[in-house]
Amino acid sequence: MTPKGRHAAGWWALIIPALLLMTAFYIAPILQVLAISVTEPQPGLGNYERLFTSESVQRVIGTTLRIGVITTAIALLLGYVLAYRIAMSGPKAQRWWLLAVLVPLWISVLVRAFAWVTLLRRQGLVNQGLLATGVIDQPLALVWNELGIVIGMVHYMVPYAVLPMLSSMREIDPRVLTAARGLGAGRIRTFLRVFLPLSLPGLIAAGVLVFIFSLGFYITPALLGGGKTLMVAEWIKLQILDLIRWGLGAMMATVLVVAILATLAVLSRLVNLRRLFGAGS
Amino acid sequence: MSAVAGHALSLQRVSKRYGDFVAVQDASLEVASGQFLTLLGPSGSGKTTILMMIAGFVEPTEGRVLLDGRDITALPPERRDFGMVFQGYALFPHMTVAENVAFPLRVRKLGRAERDAKVRAALDLVQLDRFAERKPSQLSGGQQQRVALARALVFDPALLLLDEPLSALDKKLRAELQEELKALHRRVGRTFINVTHDQEEALSLSDEIAILNHGHLIQVGAPETLYERPATRFVADFLGKSNFIEGEAEADAGGFVLRRGAARVVASGAPRAGRTLLSLRPEKIALLPEGATEDNVVEGRIASWSYVGTGYALTVMTPDLGNIRVHLPAWRIPVSPAEGLPVRLGWARDAAVAVAEDPGSPVPGGVA
Amino acid sequence: MGGHRPGWLNGTLAWATVIYLILPITIILPVSLTDQRFLSLPYERLSAQHYVTLLTTPAWTNAILQSAWIATASTLLAVVLGTLCAIGCWRLSRRSTDLVRALMLLPIIIPTITYAVGLYRYFARLGLLDSFTGVVIAHGVTGIPYVVITVSTALAAFDPRLESAARGMGASLGQTLRWVILPRIMPGIVSGAIFAFIHSWDELVVVLFIASRRVFTLPRKIWDGINENLDPAMAAVAVLLVGMTVLLLLMDLALRRRRTG
Repeated sequence: MTPKGRHAAGWWALIIPALLLMTAFYIAPILQVLAISVTEPQPGLGNYERLFTSESVQRVIGTTLRIGVITTAIALLLGYVLAYRIAMSGPKAQRWWLLAVLVPLWISVLVRAFAWVTLLRRQGLVNQGLLATGVIDQPLALVWNELGIVIGMVHYMVPYAVLPMLSSMREIDPRVLTAARGLGAGRIRTFLRVFLPLSLPGLIAAGVLVFIFSLGFYITPALLGGGKTLMVAEWIKLQILDLIRWGLGAMMATVLVVAILATLAVLSRLVNLRRLFGAGS
Repeated sequence: MSAVAGHALSLQRVSKRYGDFVAVQDASLEVASGQFLTLLGPSGSGKTTILMMIAGFVEPTEGRVLLDGRDITALPPERRDFGMVFQGYALFPHMTVAENVAFPLRVRKLGRAERDAKVRAALDLVQLDRFAERKPSQLSGGQQQRVALARALVFDPALLLLDEPLSALDKKLRAELQEELKALHRRVGRTFINVTHDQEEALSLSDEIAILNHGHLIQVGAPETLYERPATRFVADFLGKSNFIEGEAEADAGGFVLRRGAARVVASGAPRAGRTLLSLRPEKIALLPEGATEDNVVEGRIASWSYVGTGYALTVMTPDLGNIRVHLPAWRIPVSPAEGLPVRLGWARDAAVAVAEDPGSPVPGGVA
Repeated sequence: MGGHRPGWLNGTLAWATVIYLILPITIILPVSLTDQRFLSLPYERLSAQHYVTLLTTPAWTNAILQSAWIATASTLLAVVLGTLCAIGCWRLSRRSTDLVRALMLLPIIIPTITYAVGLYRYFARLGLLDSFTGVVIAHGVTGIPYVVITVSTALAAFDPRLESAARGMGASLGQTLRWVILPRIMPGIVSGAIFAFIHSWDELVVVLFIASRRVFTLPRKIWDGINENLDPAMAAVAVLLVGMTVLLLLMDLALRRRRTG
């Protein structure tokens, strides 16, 4: 009973304002980036050639992919463990566990980076504590390097990993697990042969989400990397705001979007993408 | 009928297709002012689609909808002024009973005093005046149904449309509300159009029934006409139960005679010849006592029987006509039934009716 | 889940993960109460001096006020447009509106850095750089997805027959929206508003590109603070931010419970 023809006009009128604003102030600027990448400094694909010729461009991409993969792997592991624990608790306990996931999710990424700096820097609380107890005699380099970036990024990503996995675990019928145990499968076998395969869609969805978020991540790497380890987003900012190399920055920004949309397109065949964005709320 | 005038509705060759799927095919229907018409059919027969086209929620692919002769096919639902009781009632859960009933008046911007008076009158009509301040979730199913009725009637609609209004209720309550609905129709004197798949409900409520199957309007008529003179095999089978006897017919003095194997069955009605299908209701067949006779007599043995409270249901195996179902009140059964017992079945000449096979197309003109 | 308790390993790891998620954030509370002039735990006593600094330094208070205004205005924009759009898509529900809904989600898929780069050039041409309006539009547009998601979720639980019933009784589209649809999905709208507000209140990357002196939001001020001088007033502002987020989330949670309860 969806309205057709003239009955639909009124409903379209509700959609149009958002669509116009989105087109004028979101799609247009994004397309502008694409345009800049093929017109500056000269028209052509010169900027994209750098992907194959410039060592610094390749190094940035390599670093980004490496950190992205490491972050995704750790976040998935911790997230899975946490989601499993949440899925197995009673409704009341579940609320508290969930709160412990949701609160960090919505706390300013800046505040979190600041907290990590406070803890991890040379004169930070961790080093002070370890020095005072005599575990170490030299402060450890915990931040302003790749380690710091990974610590901060995993911290940001774990909640995003938990939510899709939790929603897919909740769809698993608990009677299936009881049945597996009843049929003689041990605790570990039941998990590996029954639970894990059933929760796989959520695991894949979470992996995609975390990976594409880490590719374009700016604030945490910039603050916890200390300018020494460059990831794509910070590199783009450097090209544009500090070096005024618009073409190169826009090229990388375009590559980033294309890479993310391509990942999503490939994985949309594997998992239902609604799971990603239905669970975020 | 009451003095308040209802409105007449007519559908002219209306069809609805969704891509290749035909929901309603070429349906024409006249609903006279003040009438209670029921659209009856199994699920998927197109009855709800027809109601939705009358209400304006679904646009016909072809054909016209007329109200008192005025074409309203293109009119959106909010401008048709029809009252509607939805399946499951669709009461607004965030409003009280009174607010629900006031809704149609509020959208028509009636003054406060007039609104309150009409709401009170409508709630009186359905005997719910004491529940005005309750929320729908605090009411029983039957009460909710009555709120839906009050809400649909409060603004004096041209028509009242009912989409399976009783289907959500249990059997006993349904019978009770059928009575109420019928009384309400008599009191308000408006045109009611009802959709149901329940044949008993259709028979007891309606002035007229329109029977649908697979998107085709098969027959329209008064309940008695449809029951006694079904036009097709589907109608005979869907409204009540029926035996079907197929054979070669030829005209005789009182109507026609149908031959099947060694058996002859005489029937009244227009003389006819050739392949013919007869419908014979189980309750029109008698078990003949020793020596008695009838227009038609067939011998057979009881294949199975059961006691159903109002009487006995027998299946009698006959050599020529196959299994025949018989339904008899207990006092009219001359023997005590037992499997294998030989019996003689008899029925009057006018008990059987010739019906058409369902070709998947409407019978021209129906029998109405 | 009957008879299938998680093992000790799972329990330990889960707790460790939660501590990893929560503890670093809580550390800012004692730091903000330090009696020292640099970032550290309190040495001798707790002191509120950094909160005083925060609330009496015009640079901080201006940043807080600006952020509050921008977040309020952009939330309003996102909520109005996002809600109407979600309702339209829900009611029409066809391939084209599925596409519209996917389009509305782009801002949370495409990295902000790309948007910020494009917007920088785009706003330069429109003269919207370093303007209140510009930041409100940018935050409003990127806040729409949160509203679309929460409102769509609320609409999924809305009985479409109520809408038909209202129209059938003569209600116009506007009346149906006002009296039937909006009251029923209000919790979803409020949720969306909360998330859109937090989004704008915390947003930094776009602001780094399109604002410089006139528009100076709180995240921008914190960013400069972390990069330049790590003073304990930062910890105080962080505590205020966390407090506000937790408050908003608890509000959202309470709303959800009322909706389901």
